[in-house]
Amino acid sequence: MVAALRSIRVRRGLVGLLALLALYGLAAQIASGRLPTRVSLAKHDIEGVELLPTYSSLVEEGVFLVQAGILLEGAAVSTGRVLAGLLLGSVVGIVLGLAMGWAAGLEYALDPWVVLLRFTPALALLPLYVLWFGLGEAAKVGLIATAVAVVTLQGAYQGVRGIPGVYWDAAAALAAPRSLVLRRIVLPSALPQILASLRIAIALGWVTVIAAELIKPSMPSLGYLLALAGAYPRVPTIVIALATIALLVLVSDGLTLAAYRWVTRWMRRRHA
Amino acid sequence: MRSPGRRRVVLGCVSVAVLVCFYTLVSNVGRLVDAELLPEAFARLSRPDLLPPTQDIFKAVVSLVTGELPPMEGHHAHPSGHVSQLVEQHVTLQGALLASVLRVLFGVAVGGPLGILTGFVLGWNRTADDYLHPIYVLLRSIPSLAFITYVMLWLGHGEAHLLIPIVYAVFTTVVIPTYHGVRDLAEVYVRAARSLGAGGRLLFARVILPAASPAVLSALRYSLIIAWMTTVGVEMLMGDDGIGHLLVGGGLWSSRLQIGVDPAVIIVGILALAAAGYAMDAAARIVSDRVTFWARRRRAW
Repeated sequence: MVAALRSIRVRRGLVGLLALLALYGLAAQIASGRLPTRVSLAKHDIEGVELLPTYSSLVEEGVFLVQAGILLEGAAVSTGRVLAGLLLGSVVGIVLGLAMGWAAGLEYALDPWVVLLRFTPALALLPLYVLWFGLGEAAKVGLIATAVAVVTLQGAYQGVRGIPGVYWDAAAALAAPRSLVLRRIVLPSALPQILASLRIAIALGWVTVIAAELIKPSMPSLGYLLALAGAYPRVPTIVIALATIALLVLVSDGLTLAAYRWVTRWMRRRHA
Repeated sequence: MRSPGRRRVVLGCVSVAVLVCFYTLVSNVGRLVDAELLPEAFARLSRPDLLPPTQDIFKAVVSLVTGELPPMEGHHAHPSGHVSQLVEQHVTLQGALLASVLRVLFGVAVGGPLGILTGFVLGWNRTADDYLHPIYVLLRSIPSLAFITYVMLWLGHGEAHLLIPIVYAVFTTVVIPTYHGVRDLAEVYVRAARSLGAGGRLLFARVILPAASPAVLSALRYSLIIAWMTTVGVEMLMGDDGIGHLLVGGGLWSSRLQIGVDPAVIIVGILALAAAGYAMDAAARIVSDRVTFWARRRRAW
């Protein structure tokens, strides 16, 4: 910790973040009482809205949300959904991607469908999933899984296709069995790409869950908390929910990045 | 020996044809065969409200493109409430697509330069990067669809609060590849240019800009897809027009999810979305290949 603070990068980064927080506090203090408190929603106007909540009202709201159990439970439930979708989607995506990268026939046959899904925003599938899988958990998790699968499929595919031809030739020349090729060549060389795509997929999963949780919304969930706070509207809750989601995205991204670094530790890093 | 290109086309076409035929058969099985005779799993699949028969999808396309309902004939032909409602509101498929594509282009046109500029500043200036990078990472972590209601409180319900999340999504997407394109520029180029006396504007225009351009262009191309997803998302949540609105009909809240969406419309919408997304991506690919023809990579396999 102390060692980290000695690094000029870390110190400067902290200064930047603290400056941002201070500026926000200042802006909120100046704005309170000056900004209009009347906002117009789609159909009607609403009084008493604090557009830029001060830190004191944020803390007050945060304490209430935590004590009422809304925030933490919601975060847990939403994280669970993202993880479930991530697990399901990445298993399907990675297996299909590896298979498509390996077997050209399979690639050619599946290619039109992959293109179709690649350019279809996963959210567009939401109404269809509601029809097919009902209003319960399956539609939500399925939606996230679809978004994740499309991205990880491309990562795994490109990982396999990026393997230099000499490796394949060497394996063929030595008559390596398929399982050995998979274990010693395909998986290690595709893993960095897969993890890189997983990072994108996690970000996408968090975007998707926000909308997916509007399917028959029910309370502990961050997506519905956000929607409800927007409907009232209750800005401190919105800001806190946004901050919570951002924090969860940051943590999950950091974990994937750490996994990526660990897996690719055998690759020499070039420091620019 | 047949060429791999031809094999790709043939297998792709066969796969599409087989699945379309299979789907047509499954979705029509209830009409062709008495439901009693089918095994139960199969009978459950033959529900036109879940799996619309292929011909119904075609009819939905025709209605949505021409803006006219098909004439009534027989007991199967009456269009769903979803289609007739859209036709009543004068929503056409091409109109919705145009509205969405314009939003995407706006997002890329505004968010792209902002992101490129930020990427250049962060990539080139180490001090600025140290101070601003954590802020960028924090900003990037907020999903674009999450803050749409907050923007609406500030700006009211209109076009601006739909566009801002799209601009934001493009911006955050473009920054990182640009940043890496500039930062990881091979040091030799910069040193060579410097030792030959190039500096300032010349160094930027003749060395940095061209060297970073493949990264920038691929970032812009990728941001098109991101913008496309965000556009559909905001339109589904709050739009009054566009393809996302066509899918769920204005606000996921109030929405048709309870009234009942017509799967034929959704499938038409998805096919249109994929086609338009593919077309935009192909156009971007052609343009970026033209511009950075000199950087074409040697294929690794």
